Amino acid sequence: MMSRPWLHGFLDLCLLAMLRERADYGYGLSQRLAAAGVADVPGGTLYPALLRLEQQGLALPSWGPSETGPRRKYYAITPAGIDVLTGQADEWSRFRDGVDSLLAAAVQTVHREQR
Amino acid sequence: MIDWPAVFEAELLRLGLQPGRARQLSEEATQEAADHAGTPADLFGPAHLYARHLVAELNAPDDQRGRQRYAPGPVFLSLAGVTKRYRRYTVFSGVDLTLRGGEVAAIVGANGCGKSTLLRICAGLTRPSSGAVRRTRRVGFVPQDGGTAGWLTAEEHFTLFGAAAGMVPGRARSTGVHLATRLAWRPSRRQRAQQLSGGTRQKLNLVLGELHAPDLLLLDEPYQGFDQGTYLDFWQQVFAWRDAGRAVVVVTHLLHDLQNVDHVLDLGGGGDR
Repeated sequence: MMSRPWLHGFLDLCLLAMLRERADYGYGLSQRLAAAGVADVPGGTLYPALLRLEQQGLALPSWGPSETGPRRKYYAITPAGIDVLTGQADEWSRFRDGVDSLLAAAVQTVHREQR
Repeated sequence: MIDWPAVFEAELLRLGLQPGRARQLSEEATQEAADHAGTPADLFGPAHLYARHLVAELNAPDDQRGRQRYAPGPVFLSLAGVTKRYRRYTVFSGVDLTLRGGEVAAIVGANGCGKSTLLRICAGLTRPSSGAVRRTRRVGFVPQDGGTAGWLTAEEHFTLFGAAAGMVPGRARSTGVHLATRLAWRPSRRQRAQQLSGGTRQKLNLVLGELHAPDLLLLDEPYQGFDQGTYLDFWQQVFAWRDAGRAVVVVTHLLHDLQNVDHVLDLGGGGDR
């Protein structure tokens, strides 16, 4: 599970990626994040992030029925959201590759020192 | 748990959201908690804190997304070799600054090093002992204290200061109320300035400094007496002014803000340099 300070920068990316797959509502998204092993996102972090995506025109809300209550807010990704997702996905892979290469070098050093 | 949705909605209103929007967000939060099979307090924590967090999140600039900073605009303030002495005592000397629209400058240094004096020189209220100062015509000045009349209400201040800048009363009032809302303050119609808390009086000062849409804003520790949430609002406001192409000078003693400003004038430990 990712620690929270990291998560903050990547939560939007994760949310957009999940919405690209299919429209979903808050609780469904939090279940999917947990199931993917990314994070157990507190509600106080998740819902403001969704509202921000909505406000920035990256996700479009619509109301759907639910089994438990009167109605439920579903979010679908917009074309602008897809653009941002594509850009951030590139940034993420560059970042991940960079961290990986630094870690690989560190692991080698540790191995040499242990020998 | 008294009434979480009602407390949440009231706090959103106090923070300046429109009533319809506050109601909608409160209903949604309740619904979201039901989805998680819990109470809003379980999911979001105390209502007033979540309201502040949410508003801060929604207002936050999206600079993580690599938002474009605007290219710096025309020079609105320039200082060249500005020095202030009182008799033989040199408060500061040789201060240079070129500040353009879309930039923020911070004046820092220990107490007594002349930060407020330098700001008054920028405003043209105090003459430097030597050096040259050039500034744009439209300047907003927010002093550390004073500048408000205790027996007048906020709206009367808006009318009065607006008139000085050539604004008609109705427009001055509506502009003032609108600017106040952005600082999470709803001026009451009857309350006089002397009945406001120190923090709210500072907000009044800020609004008056900005009322006539100046190109150059000079702010002297305007957040003193603000609570934590309002302090954040204040810096968001500074960057909003900057992004609207204005030049901003802030006297501050808080160093952690400096990573986001364009110029830092450090007057050091005060005197005799």
